[in-house]
Amino acid sequence: MNKIIEVENLSKAFGHVQAVNNVSFYVEKGSLFSFLGTNGAGKSTTISMILTLLARDQGKITVNGHTVGKNNQAIKQELGVVFQDSVLDGLLTVKENLAIRAAFYGMKNKEREEAINQVANITGLTSFLHRPYGKLSGGERRRADIARALIHQPSILILDEPTTGLDVESRKNIWKTIKQLQVETNMTVFLTTHYIEEAAESDYVVIMHEGEIVAQGTPEELKNQYSSHLLIIQTSNRDQVKQVLNEKDMLFFEEKTLIYVSLPSTKDALPILNECERYIDSFEVKKSSMDEVFLTITRKGGEA
Amino acid sequence: MLSFTKRNILLYFRDKTAVFFSLFAALIIIVLYIVFLGDLIAQGMPDFENKTAILYSWLLAGILAVTSMTTTLGAFGIFVEDRADKRIMDFYASPIDRAMLVSGYILSALLVGVLMSIITFIFSYLYLVIFVEFTMTFFQILLVLGTIILSVLASAAIVLFIVSFLHTTNAFAAVSMVIGTLVGFLAGIYIPIGQFPPYIQTVIKLFPLSHSASLLRQILMEEPLTTAFLHAPSDVESAFKLELGIRYEFSDQIISNLMSVSYLGLTTIVFFVLAVLLIRKNK
Repeated sequence: MNKIIEVENLSKAFGHVQAVNNVSFYVEKGSLFSFLGTNGAGKSTTISMILTLLARDQGKITVNGHTVGKNNQAIKQELGVVFQDSVLDGLLTVKENLAIRAAFYGMKNKEREEAINQVANITGLTSFLHRPYGKLSGGERRRADIARALIHQPSILILDEPTTGLDVESRKNIWKTIKQLQVETNMTVFLTTHYIEEAAESDYVVIMHEGEIVAQGTPEELKNQYSSHLLIIQTSNRDQVKQVLNEKDMLFFEEKTLIYVSLPSTKDALPILNECERYIDSFEVKKSSMDEVFLTITRKGGEA
Repeated sequence: MLSFTKRNILLYFRDKTAVFFSLFAALIIIVLYIVFLGDLIAQGMPDFENKTAILYSWLLAGILAVTSMTTTLGAFGIFVEDRADKRIMDFYASPIDRAMLVSGYILSALLVGVLMSIITFIFSYLYLVIFVEFTMTFFQILLVLGTIILSVLASAAIVLFIVSFLHTTNAFAAVSMVIGTLVGFLAGIYIPIGQFPPYIQTVIKLFPLSHSASLLRQILMEEPLTTAFLHAPSDVESAFKLELGIRYEFSDQIISNLMSVSYLGLTTIVFFVLAVLLIRKNK
């Protein structure tokens, strides 16, 4: 197995807030790796540290054999980044933008031209290469952002919430492009997202919550491990039901008028139902989706 | 670094409002002159036969001094925007040295400042040639260009220092507005220095750009002044020069051109060093 990014015991605090707390994980070469978590989970902070943009308090990061803090310039060559907010110049055309960024990597005229044509083909932006970036639609901008990240042929593509703020159609298209990149060029893709369906399509998922890794594995593993089944209870006596669940040490979360309880198997619903019989208005037992796995892990009894 | 510099310059010129606003102070001066300042200043002057040439060349010197600062300021707006929009993160994530980036911002601001000032000079000069029959020697034009460059250098240093405190585009817009308005007064351009009370006169003399203004006035007004004061006693001439800020006096001593040039040079060095220290501390 080839670990292209390896993070060991990484920590970072901003004042009293522990943004990232003793986090360790690795990314396998050629894989599509997802960092899943709600806003403020510490995903972007971790990425900034991998990108050498933010100093870490503790821990070690290696990218393709280079250590952060020692070979930062080499790491910058390895990584292509799509930031959450657009970073290209709205008043310049896509091509001008790409040419300037290419120059940052020491590319000369002819080399630059070739690189631009190549990434334009990969990301499908040839038709709007000469339009000002600021006049593009959200989806087109994202394509240009990805093209910029690929301009120096990095070995790893890092995307910080690449599909946030896009309409459903563009989201699907961007996702398709990312998947294609990974499969066809065997590029390692590392992305953060708060869309569970995107994480579900990755090879490996790390779930972060309040600065810590709360779960990791392939989407299949996570589903099996964290709740293959879900008991959904509708009740007007919330507190009594919650008391029973806490006594039994069950994982659950609430949403609107419902309480979701994760179950190792369907049978485990029976003792709960017996004890809560008087309080339950109605209930349902079903196989849980990836969404519900995520909510179970990150909410752990908290309010929706 | 060169393509980065080119990018900054391109961004400045593509942003038509930025270009307009960096010339705004100069436009205000021209408008104020046409409306009333011109008459006001003319009334306070003795009647020379070439009064118009004197007035216009005085005005042109002031406009150039102001433009050298406001255009440089406009160009540094890109630096503030890049930081405010986190665009600078993309540059930091590229294998390009931070010192190179800062140099790129400075170089582009200098080039924009010099270029815009020269364009302003060309237009104003042509106007003077056509309407006031005013001419300059080639050597005088070279001197003007040299002074413009010096003035832009000093402005860039001051502006970079100020801008390193600004992290939002709103703050930048506000500061630009204040600088654009204030610089005309501080360099004794809206109103001649002689009409201010002594303590304000001292403030004006301490403001570096008023020295670019006085140097430019000496070059641009040389010919009209010689004609005007051909038969006048020399103490009348020096009093006039002090009144209009063509020369400054500090505790009864005339400030020499060398001192003005050195003062501008010193300003450049001091503020550049301060700004670089600040930017380093901020990262």
